[in-house]
Amino acid sequence: MSDHVLAFDAIGQDFPAPGQRTNIRVLDGISFEVDRGKFVAVIGPSGCGKSTLLQMAAGLLIPMRGAVHHRSRRVTGINTEVGFVPQQAQLFPWKTLCENVELPLLLRGVAAGERKERVASALEAVGLKGFEQHFPSQLSGGMQKRGSIARTLVYRPDIILMDEPFGALDAQTRMLMQSDLQNLSMEAGATVVFVTHDITEAVLLADQVAVLSQRPSRLLANIQIDLPRPRNMFEPFRNPGFEAAYDAVWTEFRSQIDTGRAH
Amino acid sequence: MTDLAYDTPPSVESAAIPPRAWAERFAYGLLAVLPGIVFLLFWQWASGRLIRELYVSKPTAIAARLYELFASGEIYPHLWTTGQELVFGYVIGVAGGVLGGYALGRSPRLARIFEPYVMAFYGVPKIALAPLFIIWFGIGVGSKIALASIMVFFLVFYNVFAGVRSVDRELVNLTLVMGANQRQLTYHVYLPAAAPYVMLGMRMAIPYSVIGVIVGEITSSTQGLGLFIHEASATYDPAGVFAGIVILLGFVMAAGALAGRLERRWLRWRNPSATGPGDI
Repeated sequence: MSDHVLAFDAIGQDFPAPGQRTNIRVLDGISFEVDRGKFVAVIGPSGCGKSTLLQMAAGLLIPMRGAVHHRSRRVTGINTEVGFVPQQAQLFPWKTLCENVELPLLLRGVAAGERKERVASALEAVGLKGFEQHFPSQLSGGMQKRGSIARTLVYRPDIILMDEPFGALDAQTRMLMQSDLQNLSMEAGATVVFVTHDITEAVLLADQVAVLSQRPSRLLANIQIDLPRPRNMFEPFRNPGFEAAYDAVWTEFRSQIDTGRAH
Repeated sequence: MTDLAYDTPPSVESAAIPPRAWAERFAYGLLAVLPGIVFLLFWQWASGRLIRELYVSKPTAIAARLYELFASGEIYPHLWTTGQELVFGYVIGVAGGVLGGYALGRSPRLARIFEPYVMAFYGVPKIALAPLFIIWFGIGVGSKIALASIMVFFLVFYNVFAGVRSVDRELVNLTLVMGANQRQLTYHVYLPAAAPYVMLGMRMAIPYSVIGVIVGEITSSTQGLGLFIHEASATYDPAGVFAGIVILLGFVMAAGALAGRLERRWLRWRNPSATGPGDI
């Protein structure tokens, strides 16, 4: 248990199916660990319960079978030591960017002076200096996303959980955000669990890729990605070793994609 | 909520409008007033020509009557009574509606028990309760306050209830993970999220509070605008009836404008681009 910050231990979960008496088994005995300072990508076909795993790590959902351990402590309620970056930015529309980023510190009782300092440095880190007094509706999608990340970084959570955070962004913004995320997480030495359905994104960002199968999902493989950092997010194929790493993940993943289906 | 340097005074806001926009505004203002003027002119002309003046009076007579009422001070006791009833009825109704709507919105269990009852009472025509309220609370201000507040209550209640229920569950979860306790969750998430609905309910409730008070006064009272209108119509004095109605109209419009100002201030985040140059 030495270096594991987060451990999923034989997680199983069923969800009620609409219009049916029996439940759908979504997660079926998933176990893997996340080491300190590592970037772990969780990848799987849609509907396989990737996001459910994150909710369990945050304590928003208690697994039916198995358990999640955070630093050897079983997660049984809201886990306030993690940070959650959702699919949509989910900034509070009634607060300015500055107030949004400040909120976690306010909730945790950090003194006003320190709050101000940390908010300023978090906003600077994500490149949003000068937009402190803007409301979310005045920011672009990418800026909102940056704000959402700043709001998580600002309280230095033990683990950052990211649920397909860049899925809704356009291609250019997305590459930029990936590049910035790599720099931020390297600087902070953060432990990140990153859910995605994009293989390239997973291989480029992660130290380790957990591949899940279709429902009822199991862990197909846990692949180490040893590409040197910093990696080039804009030209993935220029990273030495990228092809082999991509191949290793794709080999596991391809069986889960129904290629025989007419498109 | 914190007011930072963002709170630009309204003068700055209007100064930012270019002269052409001003002209446009003025033109639209004129256009909006025009139908009203045409209507008043037609009324003035038709009275005594198409319709007997005894039935509809005429604008000049109503204006003269209004002047007379205020000059002689005859109207002030009525205004004072009705004003009191309106303010108390409105405030009590809004407070009850916000508290009740919020409590039921936050607690699904409470909602499951009480929602059918509130729904049932919502359908009851509250006006029909006026005579009962007179019996219960007397012919003084009490019965009118009760009637106005019950009408206001249901409107505000339903808006706030719907508003609190519509709060995004993910946003709530996110705030909990950030470390919020229930009190902080209420202050930072539920209340601001429900604020637009509270404002909507409050605006919609203004005319209803007037209806409640006036119906109460017409049913039975010793003083008030409703009584004044009732007596005027009973004595074939249409100018008096319309004078009373004009006063009520003025009150509703003034209250509506006030609520609009309040709404723009509280809900600045909904339409922030109007506050200054910030569009990107």
